[in-house]
Amino acid sequence: MSKNYRILDLIRRNRSPLENHLIDGLVDGRVSRRDFIRHGSLLGLSLPLLGGITTAAGLSGMPSLARAQNAPGATIRVGSSVPAATIDPVTIADAGGLVVMQQVAEFLCVDGPDLVLKPALAESWKPNDKGTVWTFKLRKGVKFHSGGEMKADDVVASIDRLADPANSSNALSVFTGILQKGATKKVDDYTVEFHLDAANGNFPYMVSSDNYNAVIIPASYKGDYEKSFDGTGPFKIEKYTPKVGASFVRNEDYWGEKALPERTEFTFFADMQPQILALQGGQIDIINQMPVLAGVALLNDPSFEIISLKSSAHQQLHMHCDEGPTKDARVRRAIALCLDREKLAAGLMKGRSALGNDSPFAAVYPSTDTTIPQRKQDIAQAKQLMEAAGVGQGFKMTLTTERYLEIPEYAQLIQNWVKEIGIELELNILDQGAYYGDAVFGKSNWLDSAMGITDYGHRGVPNVYLAAPLKSDGTWNAAHFKNKDYDALATSYIAALDLEAQKADAGKIQKLLLEETPVIFGYFYDYLTATAKGVTGVQPTAMSQLFLEKASKA
Amino acid sequence: MSLSLVTLFLLSIMVFLGGQVLPGNVGRAILGPFADQRAVDALNHTLGVDRPLLTQYATWIWKFVRGDMGTSYIFRSPVAPFVIDALGNSMKLAAVAFVLVVPIGILGGVVAALNLNRPLDRIISLGGLSVTVLPEFVTGIILILIFGVWLRWLPISAAWPKDAGFFTQLYYLILPSLPLFLVLFGYIARMARSGMIEALDSDYTRTAVLKGLPWRTVIWRHVLRNALLPTITVIATQTGYLIGGLVVIETLFRYQGIGSLIFTAARGKDFPMLESGILTIGIVYAVATLIADFLYSVLNPRIRLGSDQ
Repeated sequence: MSKNYRILDLIRRNRSPLENHLIDGLVDGRVSRRDFIRHGSLLGLSLPLLGGITTAAGLSGMPSLARAQNAPGATIRVGSSVPAATIDPVTIADAGGLVVMQQVAEFLCVDGPDLVLKPALAESWKPNDKGTVWTFKLRKGVKFHSGGEMKADDVVASIDRLADPANSSNALSVFTGILQKGATKKVDDYTVEFHLDAANGNFPYMVSSDNYNAVIIPASYKGDYEKSFDGTGPFKIEKYTPKVGASFVRNEDYWGEKALPERTEFTFFADMQPQILALQGGQIDIINQMPVLAGVALLNDPSFEIISLKSSAHQQLHMHCDEGPTKDARVRRAIALCLDREKLAAGLMKGRSALGNDSPFAAVYPSTDTTIPQRKQDIAQAKQLMEAAGVGQGFKMTLTTERYLEIPEYAQLIQNWVKEIGIELELNILDQGAYYGDAVFGKSNWLDSAMGITDYGHRGVPNVYLAAPLKSDGTWNAAHFKNKDYDALATSYIAALDLEAQKADAGKIQKLLLEETPVIFGYFYDYLTATAKGVTGVQPTAMSQLFLEKASKA
Repeated sequence: MSLSLVTLFLLSIMVFLGGQVLPGNVGRAILGPFADQRAVDALNHTLGVDRPLLTQYATWIWKFVRGDMGTSYIFRSPVAPFVIDALGNSMKLAAVAFVLVVPIGILGGVVAALNLNRPLDRIISLGGLSVTVLPEFVTGIILILIFGVWLRWLPISAAWPKDAGFFTQLYYLILPSLPLFLVLFGYIARMARSGMIEALDSDYTRTAVLKGLPWRTVIWRHVLRNALLPTITVIATQTGYLIGGLVVIETLFRYQGIGSLIFTAARGKDFPMLESGILTIGIVYAVATLIADFLYSVLNPRIRLGSDQ
């Protein structure tokens, strides 16, 4: 297809310099079509417009999302984990709870499985030139289940509630240093401005489904969410029984296309095995989230479909950079060189993961610099590094970690691999409560252990991974990594609005982290959802959310 | 009775102190390791768990003795309905398991003793022992696969639909009670068998036979009555397990019993729920022991007459 410069010029006329720079990147071939769509959506360009630009640039338009003509009226039965605490948008912190809340309540925008932001309660958004103020235009005519119209006051109250340190807000760790209480301002009934503490190029993700607390609920909300389950979503609550399950019915007043299922039923399970048996026994249609090791029985069973989403979820293997043998970066690199990542991905993760290259930049992120060479197992080089660091004879140390998912098996593999360079690892595998402890320095095995493995859930952008676990003042900096160059690069990346600038910073960060290796990122694991054959239109996200409005059963 | 109260009081202190030894705090358990410390502090303050330990304990126990179990930290609603529902569920499951295992177990033991060292005895003794040593999550999964997944005769989940009647509930409870049956059958059958063997070998049985009583009367009136005594003790001691110790079965069959309630409460450091759950089981256990003592005295005149003196 040839480029249509006339249309491109027409489109360019009304765009900001930042948007035009992105368009130039696409036209000149510096930015791929996929990255253009992802970053364009972040800047608030609508999906039809992005499709128009890619067509004019001589590339195929938006991928046509084949909308299957699913039959309406089904009752979809879902197995999910038990909500760990009361369901409250402010405090909620677990997958079991957030998937229930997300059935009824919606976000300003939704981070889809392809990490493309899609408008939901906000129709569009855009930053100022510096990226310090983001303006969101709200959708009109959206009604809460309780009857009132969703307006700017509700958005301001919902986000302010989360940014208030006095509110036990689980989203405080996302908003700290970005958005303070009072910084969300109403412009008019359908326009909201977010005045940020510092420039942030990825801010829309912080108020998208990526920040699972950020649902918009009425400004009048005073607590006790389980009494109302109010929201604007395509389903309304029918019944919620703590520890047991929840059911929902179609919202006939929904602002968008009405949901296909008439009802949905969520059954809570405390463990994975009973969920798998329930799916096999035909008592549920979907397992919302299935870890790969626990779900091995279903992976190759033709009676079930596995929806596999590439995600940025991973296990961080941190090493203390300020004490002990791993104080020397050469030793940390040597340990990283022992890992056979190909084997990890194929064996331990059953092919359901992507290789990690010792930085948070997973392949799913558009800003990841893919020209950086992948670190591979190289025992000879690892031995040389150990010799150079003066520990050629090896040493003993303890690897402390949590009993969660495949982490104990991962720890054993690492234990075997590092034996080859003379390191004797003693494994200290703890219950999750014991591992995290009080989650502050001095009172946490996680933050105080010389070497440890910690599970990090998926994020649509790497900002959180770049800051808290790696910045010198990071609150989750278990590696005790302090590097001014890194801090500056991470700050620069987070502030960058432009994809190419982000990519440039990402490349520098990737190189620096490969050199320093405070944390080993061995793999990024896929998010798996299992469904019975004949169940279609199910859309999970790697944040544990499950969109069922297009679901049907054969 | 007063001894039981002292025991329960000590139990409440032990649970409270034990809960404090566990790492982490309630706010952290609810908000997770990645929550901001200010949010955790705010939540701990709201829940009142930043008060001195003695104040927390005294406040709770004072309410508890007046019949108020307090408010759950995790669910932010009164504890009592959770505990009462869970206890009711646990007792239903225990009752079904008891009704199945006690008569069949005793019968098995009696039959084995009457066929001492014959093939039937071997089958009952060895078979019972074999299934007893199999953990219930193994037998549970096998039973679910057979009856729930392959044959689809019985529901996999023990949680019955709302407003289910007695027989529907019973239908849902069959599958989860089977692993319990397998765990307890061998145990009860062995106790009944050894009690029978001892009773059959005793002087009073020989006397009863020699004085010309029919064999059936000897067994019913003399042997069985004495043989059952140790069996009753065993059954009573299993009550605690059957009511509060079924975390694995409850998780596997998605059953809302008190075992899993306590387990969740312990993990979440939900102290009012944990204390109330454990003390409730303690009370049930104390009552079961009391009933066992009473039955023992009914069946054993020596105790009854001894206490009269």
